[in-house]
Parts: sequence; C-alpha cells; structure tokens
Amino acid sequence: MTDRWKVTVDPRVCVRTGLCAASAPKEFELDERGQGRATSETLPASEEVLEVAESCPIEAISIADADTGKAIFPPES
Amino acid sequence: MTTAEPVYWDPFDAALARDPYPLYARLREEAPLYYNDRHDFYAVSRYTDCQRGLADWQTFSSARGDILEIIQANIELPPGTLIFEDPPVHDIHRRLLARLFTPRRIAQLEPQIRAFCERVLEPVAGAERFDLVEAVGAEMPMRVIGMLLGIPEADQPTYRDRTDAALETEDGGRIDHEEILITEGFQEYLEWRKKHPSDDLMTELMTAEFEDETGQRRTLTDEEVLTYCSVVAGAGNETTGRLIGWFGALMARYPETRRELVADPSLIPNAIEEILRFEPTGPFTARYVTKDVEFHGGTVPAGSAILFIQAAANRDPRRFDDPDRFDIHRVSQHMSFGVGAHYCLGAALARLEGKVAAEEILRRFPDWEVDWDAAELAQTSTVRGWKTLPLVIRGA
Repeated sequence: MTDRWKVTVDPRVCVRTGLCAASAPKEFELDERGQGRATSETLPASEEVLEVAESCPIEAISIADADTGKAIFPPES
Repeated sequence: MTTAEPVYWDPFDAALARDPYPLYARLREEAPLYYNDRHDFYAVSRYTDCQRGLADWQTFSSARGDILEIIQANIELPPGTLIFEDPPVHDIHRRLLARLFTPRRIAQLEPQIRAFCERVLEPVAGAERFDLVEAVGAEMPMRVIGMLLGIPEADQPTYRDRTDAALETEDGGRIDHEEILITEGFQEYLEWRKKHPSDDLMTELMTAEFEDETGQRRTLTDEEVLTYCSVVAGAGNETTGRLIGWFGALMARYPETRRELVADPSLIPNAIEEILRFEPTGPFTARYVTKDVEFHGGTVPAGSAILFIQAAANRDPRRFDDPDRFDIHRVSQHMSFGVGAHYCLGAALARLEGKVAAEEILRRFPDWEVDWDAAELAQTSTVRGWKTLPLVIRGA
C-alpha cells in the first residue's frame, strides 16, 4: 500500500448523508448540492478514510492507490 | 366543464390506505405546496422538493421528531434517539451505529438471515394457503434484529409487539407519543448483558468509546444504549416486515414478473428496489421548519410542520418514465430510504432481508394468488402495508 490515495465519491449514488464530512472533516467536504467529495486530489492513506468509505451506507466512496490505480475500496472481488 | 374542488389530503384517513396514488398525483400537480388547515401542516410531493427538503436539515429539523403528531405535541425527546436529532449531535451518535451497519458487515450476515428465513418457512412447507405476513413478515425481521441486538429468542416477540402497538393507530387516530419511546423492557437485559458481554450490538454500544459534543471521550450511558436499542428494534421490524408483504402482494398482481424472477433469481435485487419505489412502507416523513422557506411561490413559515411525501415523489413523472408502471428492470434512485443525514441506517439490511425472503419464498412457492377479500391493509400514520395477506398456493 502506498501512502497516497485517490478518493472519489460517485455523485450518481451519493444520497447526501453528510456522514463522510462529519466523520473526517479534514478529508471530506460537502459541495453546494450537499454531496460529499474529497478535500484534495489525493489524501494520505489512513484507517480513518477507509472506515469512512466502509461506513457510507450506499458505498458511494471508492479509494484507489494514487500511484498504481489499484482499487483499495471496494476491494476487487 | 370540470368542477374544480380543491384537493384535500388527510394523512390520518384510513380510507386512503388502499390506493393513495391518485390523490398523491393530484397533490403533485395541483398543489405542489399543500397546506392542510384542519391538521395545520404543509406537504410537498414532487421528487426535487422532497430531495431538497430532506437533505436540508438546517431548515427542516428532526429535533422535534419525524412524525407529524410528535412534532405537534412538542415533547422533550431523549438524547440518542438518532431519528429525532440534527447534526452535529446526530452525526456523532449515528457514527457509533454506522460502523455496525456497513453494507459489507451486513452482507456477512446473509447465511444467518437465510437460516432464519428457512426456519420461519418450515411450518408452512406444503401448505395450500398461509398468511405471508404472519409467517414471514412478522417473524423474520424480528429474528434478525433480535440476533443483532443479542435479545434471547424467547423474549423477541415481546419487544416486537410493544413497538408495533405503539405505532398502530385506529382509523383517523394519532400515535400516542408517550408510548413511542418505551425502553424499560431492555433495562433488565442490559444489566444482564453487562455481566455477560458478547459480540452483539448492545455489547458494542456499551463499550464503544467516542468523543461527545462537548469534546469529552466517553462511552454511552445506560440510558443512551437503551434508546439506541429501542430505535434499532423499532425501525427494523415493521418496515422490513411490510416490505415482505408488498413483495407477496405485487408478485400476485404481476404474475409475469413473478415468473421472470423464478426463472432468473439474479433479477431479485433490482425487483426489491422497484417494490421499494412502487409501494414504500414509510410513505412520508415529517420535519419541523426552522426558518421561512419558499416552495412554488408560497412561503412555509418558521415553526410549521411539513410532510415530505416520498411515496408521491417516487411516482413523479418528472423523474420516472411511466411512473405508475411496475417494472423490475427500471434503474431508479427512489426516495423510500430518504436522503440526507437521516438516510435509512438499515437500508443494506432491509435490502438483504428482502432479497433473501424473495429468493426463499419463490424457491418453495413459485405460483400463488392472494385471497384479496381476506387480506387487510395495516393503517398507521407512519407505515403502510399488509396486516394479513393470505396466499393461496397454486400447484401445491
């Protein structure tokens, strides 16, 4: 695992719970429509960010390794 | 010439339970901002209005409840009641539970949920006729929630019946707000569980450390744990049970679809989404208006109660093509689990229970009709669904 992640929120799926921004306000924010997004192009890899992605009730958040593009969450099945 | 009687909607009118959709369509078209002066509330019914409102907790608060009569009773609600809270406190409390309800964690429960489903279907094996609600709807979600909370099986019906009774209303009746937040049943159990920790939700809630709204790191108080448990038990039983009932009713009404699902069970998850869109078990959600707000040129004043009619939004032709057609191939984002901070915590669990129940029922009983004369719709001011749904099995 490299130490930078590219974190994306799928706007077609996001139901605006706001939980990501509430759980990790440094890493996530809400846009003008109330949908979540990462605060920067890449985020430092952390358990916290992974837990936020896992806790999203509709799994709208995906995480990929910023260098290799390998899926971190949801894991490739 | 048409007589233009203004549209009137009484959410407490049990006569509307059978088919509320023509009236919802009129509200959507003729009164997109509706005011009912008899019960003193506003209502919106278009998809975009429901989506906007439910996502905006600052304007449309849950702090006084999410049921009309509770908001109007203006009662003090205990902390930890998730559904009756706004961010940021809501988010602190929800995060404690969200960890336990992640879609992945829920997915791991599938074998256990299937085992419960198989067990409740055993007594009706080979039957020519049985009540789907009594056999599966009232049993399976209760067993699943009971397992999650760690309530002994023998005690589970008591907890279910208590919340069902609190939510049930007579025709035109209102919920008794004193009854809705009863936690005393769980108290003894909590004491016992403290001495016998397990891997259940109650144990996790008792031991989870978190930072509260004052910045203090602590664990939940007993009272908070009890409130959480009663919220989870109350929210997870009846709603999911009614979903299973709607599955039984719609599969009888649309036999072509039922045959399609029997032939290809991989279509079931999307069929569950369409059932949720078409017949949501919770047709509307109430909020308290914190500041003056505009809808369709009218003003809803601060201090009002407003209903967001998700069952009407789900059939808004601006959002869904041919919305009154039941189509399991439709890809839709319905409103039945809500939107925003209060998006249903148990959505993944409800979907999984619906899928497993559908699979197991269709596998055993590929063909049935409903004895509609003996079927009965349950009428409460929060939940709509079948109270009894006698299936008449064909080819039995």
